[in-house]
Amino acid sequence: MPKRRDILAIVLIVLPWTLLITVWHQSAIAPLLAIRKVCHHLVKEILIIPERLTIHRQRLADDGTETRHDTGPATDSKEYCSQDKDIVEVVRTEYVYTRPPPWSDVLPTIHVITPTYSRPVQKAELTRLANTFLHVPNLHWILVEDSQRRTPLVTRLLRETGLNYTHLNVETPRNYKLRGDMRDPRIPRGTMQRNLALRWLRETFNSNSSQAGIVYFADDDNTYSLELFEEMRSTRKVSVWPVAFVGGLRYESPKVNAAGKVYGWKTVFDPHRPFAIDMAGFAINLRLILFKPQAYFKLRGVKGGYQESSLLRELVTLNDLEPKAANCTKILVWHTRTEKPVLVNEGKKGFTDPNVEI
Amino acid sequence: MNGVAVHSALVCTETHNAICNIHNEATGKDLFISALNLYTSLNHQQVIMRMRLKLKTVFVLYFIVSLLGLIYALMQLGQRCDCRDHAMSKDQQISQLRGELQKLQEHIKTSELSKKTDVPRIYVITPTYARLVQKAELTRLSHTFLHVPQLHWIVVEDAPQPTSLVTDFLAASGLTYTHLYKRTPKDRKLQEGDPSWLKPRGAEQRNEGLRWLREMGAAAKGKEAAALEEAVVYFADDDNTYSLQLFEEMRYTYRVSVWPVGLVGGMKFERPVVEDGKVVRFHTGWRPNRPFPIDMAGFAVSLRLILTNPQARFDGDAQMGFLESSFLQHLVTMDDLEPKADLCTKVLVWHTRTEKPKMKREDALQKQGLGSDPDVEV
Repeated sequence: MPKRRDILAIVLIVLPWTLLITVWHQSAIAPLLAIRKVCHHLVKEILIIPERLTIHRQRLADDGTETRHDTGPATDSKEYCSQDKDIVEVVRTEYVYTRPPPWSDVLPTIHVITPTYSRPVQKAELTRLANTFLHVPNLHWILVEDSQRRTPLVTRLLRETGLNYTHLNVETPRNYKLRGDMRDPRIPRGTMQRNLALRWLRETFNSNSSQAGIVYFADDDNTYSLELFEEMRSTRKVSVWPVAFVGGLRYESPKVNAAGKVYGWKTVFDPHRPFAIDMAGFAINLRLILFKPQAYFKLRGVKGGYQESSLLRELVTLNDLEPKAANCTKILVWHTRTEKPVLVNEGKKGFTDPNVEI
Repeated sequence: MNGVAVHSALVCTETHNAICNIHNEATGKDLFISALNLYTSLNHQQVIMRMRLKLKTVFVLYFIVSLLGLIYALMQLGQRCDCRDHAMSKDQQISQLRGELQKLQEHIKTSELSKKTDVPRIYVITPTYARLVQKAELTRLSHTFLHVPQLHWIVVEDAPQPTSLVTDFLAASGLTYTHLYKRTPKDRKLQEGDPSWLKPRGAEQRNEGLRWLREMGAAAKGKEAAALEEAVVYFADDDNTYSLQLFEEMRYTYRVSVWPVGLVGGMKFERPVVEDGKVVRFHTGWRPNRPFPIDMAGFAVSLRLILTNPQARFDGDAQMGFLESSFLQHLVTMDDLEPKADLCTKVLVWHTRTEKPKMKREDALQKQGLGSDPDVEV
């Protein structure tokens, strides 16, 4: 006849042993559990993005904003952590584009600011740029059009890629726009658009927010390697690296001394500029941008090649620059330029159907 | 001491109640002794005495051992916990999590792309040659191709031997690839200062790609041969721009499929004109009387058709603009063309060209012997 005391005794004997066994079990499968935990964590992140990245709907002077966040994968496809495999399975239903890598709480966001303008190769350039960006985790693309209104071409393209983006626009007034010769270096192109993006960032993120971010200015005709984005993610203030095909050279690069500090610029074109570097050759930590709210690209009276300096000199000194890309010895970004297509056969009236978008 | 009680309780249930009653009153030690009585004869008091001591020690040892084991296990677990969360610095934790993230992303990518093994394979033949922008072009091309499932990239260099730039690049790209090389004979090669349209480019390299495909097709057996039956071949130049939609359009090609190409032929786009689902003519501003006035990027051929027509190849001596026709006219007639891209109304590929970077300053420096480090690969 089992008595209460006996049962208690049995339990007290057996309990330590069961605890022991479970402890060993747990320790054996702990690595798998960690991944499962991270897996759930990632799924959670993807679903809560809309709440996290809210923007202030303020009326900015001459533009509107449209922001669309990475809800694509969450709404159009199934995502779950399968029980037998500790990986996230995504079932794509609509998009031809693969969705970008899942958003992570840990990685700093890279805010890529790209000014763009309408021309025949625009859609092609943005398409291949998007194809590159789709490989980069935690990337936020800020595309600023040089136009009076946001064009449907760009709007549709951004929506279809599935990237995390912000679509802005501001028109450069006629006297600043390039006339005729597109390569006139006296008037910097894209300046107003970049400044608008900086303003948007300052209005969207406040300095107290814990979100780590890196700001990078990417033109739509350059070529970026994926390694570049991982190099810039660890920027604390301003990081720099070599850029190919600028300044009439194979590449331009900062000069780095043995202590790993930048002390000069390896360029031929005016190496005595405060920052003799191309727009694609540096990245700024978002905190620094927010900390110095007056720092913008100078619009008027900027000599050719001094545009980057006009912003950087208000943010950082030469000593604070962080050299990346193996102490500025590897080329991770190329300043390619796309030829202007010769459309002679279009004729005055246009030979091809104007309704077809290119 | 409750353990003792359990033991005795267990024993109790097996024996008759009289002894049990006694057990309920006694202390643990005594209980145990009483329990012992069941195993040994009641008359052997001395044996009992000795066994009492032995059993007592055994039980004490049992408890000590079990307690130690528990403590040890807890410490083990505790240590692991500490390592994971507290002992490591924040940076280490971040990098560890990042590493896990990358691992997961790779899992996702490989599981997603490799899942699609039932779709027809696309063989992309890209001729390339050494020039300043080569690495940049190949880099951004690879970024596009990485999104396309079941894509096999055949890179054919115009070189006497494979270059380290392309070899290293392909190895790091993460794509499925084949690296070939074939030198263009001097008389067919464009010289410095020649306009790009003077001689057809890449004919020998594309033919080399076709040769490799035919060799592979002949050697394939079983499942692989069945997969090749459905495969598609596309000729992609390294400076064009391809949308991802394009590859899904060309994937299911029975003979030869065609679609519009943007920014080519001096026009915004060139395209085949489709009526009733069939191609009736070509909308192009330049020499529309060619047998196939279509750009290299505007068609794809099924591998089956290539394997069954071993004589079909690109004619390196063809007139300007007739390179594509020299290949296609042996394979298909205009009637048999399959129009894609919404009956040839959408532009999914653009014939972009990259400017040659200005090297004036570099050349000047080279003359002085102060050129940029040639070891740095651009």
